[in-house]
Amino acid sequence: MTRVSSRLQGLDFQQAVVYFGFLAIFLFFAVTLYDDGFLTQRNLTNIVLQTAPATIMAVGLVFALSAGEIDLSFGSIVAVSALSCAVALQSFPMPVGVLVGLGVGVAIGAFNGVLVAYLKLPSFLVTLATMGLFAGIARSMTNLRSVPVMNDTFTGLFGSGKLFTVPSLVIWTCLGVGIGHLIYRHTRFGAHVLATGDNPRAAQVSGIKVARVRLYVLMICGGCAGLAGLLYAGRLQAAKYTLGESDLMTVIAAVIVGGTALNGGKGSVVGALLGSLLMGMLNNGLILMNLKVSDQMIVRGLIILIAVAVSLRDTSR
Amino acid sequence: MKYFNIVAAACLSVASAAGAETVGPNGEAATASTAVQVSDAHIAALKAGNHSAALLWHDQSDFVNAVTAGASDEFERLGIKVVATASAGFDAAKQRSDIETAMAKQPSIILSLPLDPVTSAAAFEEAKENGVALSFLSNVPAGYSHPADYAAIVTDDLFQMGKQAADALAASMGGSGTVGWIYHDADYYVTNQRDNAFKTTIESDYPNIEIVAEQGISDPARAEEIANAMLLRNPDLGGIFVTWAGPAEGVLAALRANGNDNTKIVTLDLSEPIALDMVKGGNVVAIVADEAYELGRAMAASAALDLIGEEVPAFVVAPAITVTADNVQDGWQKSLRVDAPASLSK
Repeated sequence: MTRVSSRLQGLDFQQAVVYFGFLAIFLFFAVTLYDDGFLTQRNLTNIVLQTAPATIMAVGLVFALSAGEIDLSFGSIVAVSALSCAVALQSFPMPVGVLVGLGVGVAIGAFNGVLVAYLKLPSFLVTLATMGLFAGIARSMTNLRSVPVMNDTFTGLFGSGKLFTVPSLVIWTCLGVGIGHLIYRHTRFGAHVLATGDNPRAAQVSGIKVARVRLYVLMICGGCAGLAGLLYAGRLQAAKYTLGESDLMTVIAAVIVGGTALNGGKGSVVGALLGSLLMGMLNNGLILMNLKVSDQMIVRGLIILIAVAVSLRDTSR
Repeated sequence: MKYFNIVAAACLSVASAAGAETVGPNGEAATASTAVQVSDAHIAALKAGNHSAALLWHDQSDFVNAVTAGASDEFERLGIKVVATASAGFDAAKQRSDIETAMAKQPSIILSLPLDPVTSAAAFEEAKENGVALSFLSNVPAGYSHPADYAAIVTDDLFQMGKQAADALAASMGGSGTVGWIYHDADYYVTNQRDNAFKTTIESDYPNIEIVAEQGISDPARAEEIANAMLLRNPDLGGIFVTWAGPAEGVLAALRANGNDNTKIVTLDLSEPIALDMVKGGNVVAIVADEAYELGRAMAASAALDLIGEEVPAFVVAPAITVTADNVQDGWQKSLRVDAPASLSK
């Protein structure tokens, strides 16, 4: 009992919001949509599959926000990575396509990182600019064409395949969140990220190479966006310049609702996963409720507003 | 013309203005939407089947609302329940998610506009495999064949829309002068076809009209600056074609800011601010619209007929309407099945 109460006392209010919010919304849909297929294994699996790319992007964004930076360009990185991979797969074997897709993501992240860490430019402005830059590159690199992905091994590994009975996108979600959580919570680098975001001057004085941390978090963000691009390409069996474009606000909302502070020093990879699933569950449940599209948008916006307001209330004190 | 190649898997318009018409992906002749009707005998069979439908659109707009209204009214008449409605916001990944989500309700019919042939092929696969009657608006997933994989493609008469816009602009300019062509700079079948039909018609049918400025637009918010640049380089433009009404509002703002009363505008799809300028005798001379409500009705009817094993034409076309200041009330009603906004009453 003492252990339980001490755990409750230690429970971070901001990070707890997502757990309670997730549970409340799940229960609401489970009751109201009981006869509409919401609770079927197929539908619940679909929610995880549909949110897999956003979840991976959210993991990367947790690192960037925790270090006091932001990456607004990850949606464009998704498109460039997916298209690069799809184009490479037309001429080269799968490992090359994967390396190209991921490499492009990490390279763009490094480009952002160098500008932020070593030229001391604000990440908001840098990534706002590179968001437009790489959105333009995504459009021009295939002349607006969608590129089909016909490599069955690739589409199995990154899209529709299964390992035993577990869909590959579920495995990628688990791997992304698991590795992200491990690095974030249980490595020296994770601690340095938080220290940098909390108080960069103090972190610098205590020997943390703040610039390098900033570079690395933006590279992680780019790499995660690159992986999300591969997941989209695998899932759709094609890549298109619009991939990732509409994910920016959803992913930022998922990460904030998941308990990551906008101004750095605090975050949760597991919270980001739940935030992402919550967004997916809202999309899914509101469609199954057969609401009009405009009503779906209103309800989704209100729920996200409440969740973000409640989760940010604690940090504003 | 590059966009014709991009959508090779989709429907094509014959690119010759004289006698041109919209044809299907494999050269199918267009069937008028009015020919697709569900008889009373079929209605009894459909009502007994306890069927349901999902409306999974590409976006939200007046046009989509009118298509939805046409489809919903027809489904209600046929005793088919609409169980899910969604909008993908032009996001191919969300379109796939919407289909998966709607499949939880096991619909018998899905009406949708596939965002592009390549990405939508995998997206509709599950529905196709489960025998859902698919009726597509304007576009078709690559590799899908009729009637095995889908009930019908229902579309505007895209070529006619572009052609009628060209005819209206040419008439307003007295058949001669210079024109600016503002086209949709995106891989999007519907707008690509309409834009190119305008250009083709001007080039082949109006030898005294020259397209002197071409500018693509992907963000409607930039229309005003694009128009300003176009007018700076070509101050004597007799007319401007704008790919759809949203960016046309920006072009109109640019003309007003320049005090330009001479350059005529034609655009596609109904919009109150654009129509208001038209009825007040401003720059806008015509808006070419489609019969959106009829498109929805025909989509619902073709999917329902497919469901009960009736033969459905592969490629169904609803007519285009040229709306001018003289027929704005009728045009609005015919296109969207709603009264024209009160501001348009003369």
